[in-house]
Amino acid sequence: MSEKFLTFRLFSGLLVATISLCVCSKPLLSRNHQRFATDLEGKPFDLSRAARGKIVVLIFVRTDCPISNRYAPTIQQLGAEHRNDATFFLVYPGKGETSDAIRKHDREFGYTFASLRDPQHVLVKQSEAQITPEAAVFDAGRRLVYHGRIDNLYEDFGHARKTATTHELADAIEAAIAGKPLSGNATPAVGCYISDLE
Amino acid sequence: MTVVPLACMAALVSGFGRVTTAQQKVTTHTNPAQPQITFNRDIAPILYRSCARCHRPGEAGPFSLLTYADAKSRAHQIAVVTKSRFMPPWLPDEGDLKLADELRLSADEIARIQAWVDKGTAEGDPADLPAKPKFAEGWQLGKPDVIVKATKAYALPASGSDNYWNFVFRAPVDRTRWLKSIEIRPGDKWLVHHANVLVDRQQNGRRHEIDPGAGFGGMELTIESEAFDPDSHFLFWKPGSIPYVEPDGMALRLDKDTDLILNTHLQPSGKPETIQPTLGLYFTDKPATMHPVLLQLENDRMLDIPAGDKHFAVTDQFTLPVDVDVLAIYPHAHYLGKDLRATAKFPGGGSETLIHIPDWNLNWQAVYRYAQPVKLPKGTTISMNFVYDNSEKNVRNPNDPPQRVVAGNRAVDEMAHLWLQVLPQQSAQEKSDPRTPIVEAMARHNLQKNPDDFEAHYNLAALLMGRGEVPQAIAHFEQANRVRPNEPTVNNAFGAALLAAGRTEESVPHLTAALNARPDYFDARYNLGNALASLGDFRGALAQFQAAVRINPEDANAEANLGSAFAETGDLKQAKQHYERALGLNPNHELARENLQQLNQTLHDSPK
Repeated sequence: MSEKFLTFRLFSGLLVATISLCVCSKPLLSRNHQRFATDLEGKPFDLSRAARGKIVVLIFVRTDCPISNRYAPTIQQLGAEHRNDATFFLVYPGKGETSDAIRKHDREFGYTFASLRDPQHVLVKQSEAQITPEAAVFDAGRRLVYHGRIDNLYEDFGHARKTATTHELADAIEAAIAGKPLSGNATPAVGCYISDLE
Repeated sequence: MTVVPLACMAALVSGFGRVTTAQQKVTTHTNPAQPQITFNRDIAPILYRSCARCHRPGEAGPFSLLTYADAKSRAHQIAVVTKSRFMPPWLPDEGDLKLADELRLSADEIARIQAWVDKGTAEGDPADLPAKPKFAEGWQLGKPDVIVKATKAYALPASGSDNYWNFVFRAPVDRTRWLKSIEIRPGDKWLVHHANVLVDRQQNGRRHEIDPGAGFGGMELTIESEAFDPDSHFLFWKPGSIPYVEPDGMALRLDKDTDLILNTHLQPSGKPETIQPTLGLYFTDKPATMHPVLLQLENDRMLDIPAGDKHFAVTDQFTLPVDVDVLAIYPHAHYLGKDLRATAKFPGGGSETLIHIPDWNLNWQAVYRYAQPVKLPKGTTISMNFVYDNSEKNVRNPNDPPQRVVAGNRAVDEMAHLWLQVLPQQSAQEKSDPRTPIVEAMARHNLQKNPDDFEAHYNLAALLMGRGEVPQAIAHFEQANRVRPNEPTVNNAFGAALLAAGRTEESVPHLTAALNARPDYFDARYNLGNALASLGDFRGALAQFQAAVRINPEDANAEANLGSAFAETGDLKQAKQHYERALGLNPNHELARENLQQLNQTLHDSPK
């Protein structure tokens, strides 16, 4: 999956960008010819160019997933706390999620980040995301350094803590900022299955 | 005792990304010749019957499960939550006693769902799709006789943990009515986990409101009542439930000037919400002829759970003084509750499980009604056996790290309560209220467990008072007063009992204390007025009756006594006015009539 040289066909029909050699084991963020995520205006979203020099955090959500909705204040707060080092994007992987519905939803839930549509699950695959809400953290070199739950508020459906006691996403962001590797495997999130949206 | 039953753990592991593996196991057991599992033929009937009551627009389920598209977009989630039996929410184990409205999927239904998801969520032949279930729109029992909306909405914050709010409704009745059902419409249903209505005959709850109609916070509340009128109905709402209609003869009395308190358990949704519930009241002209009792087993005194204790057991036993029919059961614990069980041990030997909840979850607590009344003979011992998990393994533990937990009303405290709605059986010859032996036995049982049980002393005293056993009643009022010296309700009732025993002088300090604590306490004003009048202090009595009439201008007795106080202090004109007002309120008021006649005679005999 990791390609060494890529030429990108931009939306306008023009070329060209090249990406430097990758020696990492994780897949590089890439966008093939036809499949891409977009912003809410329908413009292709280029993660490799987004928020240069900063960490990128993608949060996969659904307008109609109760658990991802319940996380809205936590997600918004995490974004605000790390705004100097990390740029947050909400990613809606549902094909049926229209830009208008997403805007309305973001407004209602007090989100101030940019939202992306990913009906073709390009970012889903790049982030290895399975659940909403799930987080993916890319370092400044756009390597996927974390994907998994935001925290341990939910242990399972119906098994929620009063408050979370571990904060995996915050830890991953801190580690990425410090350039430190993350230890251990990420715990899967509890919520709605992205695979059901295919 | 494992923290999570093994079946549940397996579901947890299989739930994330490995659903397929787990499901293949299920499908290998099915006949290979069996036709493909399809939504239209195999899945829709399950969803229609067991899910759609909540999972449809406007209902408590956060999304609909009515169409193929609905189900497909949640397929893996449905597979996981049905397999773990998180959905549909139904806590009790299957036992010998059948419960009404059991919401449990069969093993076959669960296997069918797993196989459907595993094999690619086929839609199938449209001809196989059964008719969509029909649900009543709006009020489930038709238009209520009276609809009452909470005065003020409650603003539920966007985030935070579970939230408890009480709304106070003034009963919209101008006379005594018989209530056969209440439909609770919490507003945005999916924010409300469950709700209870408490009948507050003395309008005590509203005193917790900062502004009238604002409601008040709190998970548990106790409603005090001065009359022997034990609350005997479960008025409970949980998502997807159709309001329960009391059978003829079991209606609940609703008087004028009664408050209905709606106790709600709310969960933040991620955005700010407002909740303004509505109640729909359904009346019947058939008054209550059968009087159930809510029998309570509890052992909050035993609740002192060390931090980290995984298996802390709490028990209580109560032996029935009469034959009863058990109609419904309501076990209650907070977040540390793990395994909740109630058993009946028969006097002739043998026993029966009344309910067993192996994985308690406060969020899905419910009142369970038996499909058929459970007959328990006199001498049956009912046992409550609750087990609590205060370790960090219990994810619902509100304390991190675990702390010592004792009984209390807050969400971080614990409770060990088991309520049974029982109908005492009585032979036709017996004239006495069949509830009294149970209430009395309960109070005495509670005093054995805890000699300082305020409520037991108070209830026993009220009951003895009702039976005319005044000295015994006084003894228990005295104990209740010792436990809570400033409780105005007790001071008033204690004072009234002393008054009834002719110990008038002793009654005055208690009645005065009641009024110091609650100056607008009508009963205490009235009683103090009577006490002062019998001590010959008519000026003092006059002031009390004047205050009483200001608090409640529609009480004929207070008006009549105010008339008498005026008469005794020589103001015959005012006396006449108040006697006439008393008769205006109650034309059959004997005392007012006689006094007025006598007064008219006096005025006639000695014209100015």
